[in-house]
Amino acid sequence: MPLDTSTYHLSLLRLDGRRWNELRRLHAQISTQASADGSSYLEMGNTKIICTVSGPAEIRGGGRREGVERDNAVVNVEVGVAGFSGMDRKRRRGDKRTTEMQNTIASAFTSTLFTHLYPHSTISINLHILSQDGSLLAVCLNAATLALIDAGVPMKDYIVACTSGLTPPASTLGGSRGGNSETSDPLLDLNGMEEQELPFLTGAGGTVGGDVGGGGGWV
Amino acid sequence: MSLPDLAYPGLPLGPSSSYIPGPGTHLHLESSTIHASIAGRPTFTPPTAKGSKPTLSIPRLLPSPTHAPIPSSNVSNTNTLPTVGSVVLCRVTRVKSKQVDVVILVVYGAEGKFGRGGEGSVCADEWQAVIRKEDIRATEKEKVVTAEGFRVGDVVRGVVISLGDQSNYYLTTGRNELGVIMAKSEAGNKMYPISWKEFKDPVTGETERRKVAKPF
Repeated sequence: MPLDTSTYHLSLLRLDGRRWNELRRLHAQISTQASADGSSYLEMGNTKIICTVSGPAEIRGGGRREGVERDNAVVNVEVGVAGFSGMDRKRRRGDKRTTEMQNTIASAFTSTLFTHLYPHSTISINLHILSQDGSLLAVCLNAATLALIDAGVPMKDYIVACTSGLTPPASTLGGSRGGNSETSDPLLDLNGMEEQELPFLTGAGGTVGGDVGGGGGWV
Repeated sequence: MSLPDLAYPGLPLGPSSSYIPGPGTHLHLESSTIHASIAGRPTFTPPTAKGSKPTLSIPRLLPSPTHAPIPSSNVSNTNTLPTVGSVVLCRVTRVKSKQVDVVILVVYGAEGKFGRGGEGSVCADEWQAVIRKEDIRATEKEKVVTAEGFRVGDVVRGVVISLGDQSNYYLTTGRNELGVIMAKSEAGNKMYPISWKEFKDPVTGETERRKVAKPF
């Protein structure tokens, strides 16, 4: 079902009734899994993710590999997408997009966690995606932040993330070019339908200052 | 400057000119303020030496123990880890010919004058430990029979001699005041000590051999 964006600039309401800067309903819980060192459950709208954190733990197999500096802890991220999470039932196994998300999340937290306190150790972050409706990377980062705080892993700052996108300029819809007065509107917290149609990116940062990075997504 | 009730990572707590950063906090170089590293209630401990600054820290708390069958106000959620030299109370789980397996239940601080240390804290988790045959007694070590020193279910006071490996601490009971402090007889009654090697059952009158700790 294509997204009808022709009426955006008129009523300034999106299809789910939100204005450009309104976020979806956010529901968060921590300490949901007693067996894990840290755990959280986060819902942003219909995107629902469980996160568990374990560690810092010793690396199996000694960890004495050549060329590998183990003065800092290694952040290891695994993302599991449930087959029932999307619109069609699909088992995504070893997906490139999932692998990229894992690497992004791992490098983001490596820069804020105090990994120098735990040499030769691994901090494991496991994310389970129960329902997808847009902003997947952002919700993963937020859920991982909560789980890491619950686990008590020391960090210099916590990471929050959100998606932002651009509506197409109203002038291109009629086919004419060079819209001088019609500019695109920014949008915050895109849902699944908006992500499929519009260019967006996930921005993440801390509160103390300094960027920790982000990822872009284009349809 | 009053401390907030609940700090989250990254929250500025105080200037580094007034406080020393302790565990759970870190120093933010550019602004020379102390920031929190974990979530928790910040506390400050008074200065150790005259003229030095108080230490600002956030103690790491474990989740409150929910698996305990009876809630106890003594079971805290700060885990005092046993260190070398700390006196511990433990319970015997297995008696083998060369060693005795125990679980550490209570940790006291470092040894005090009478070998017992200060306040004891009940551990939120049990720690596995081992008393080797040669560490049960200080003298005549080769003549020790482990079954004559301990039985399963005895409560033992010991001292940690080594942090050991991934699975076990190592304890010793090789002093007069270390050894079995509480034991049940084979008939099931609580016994009281009568000498360094015997407990007596008051109901049946039977005595049983144990490595008895000297009562203070």
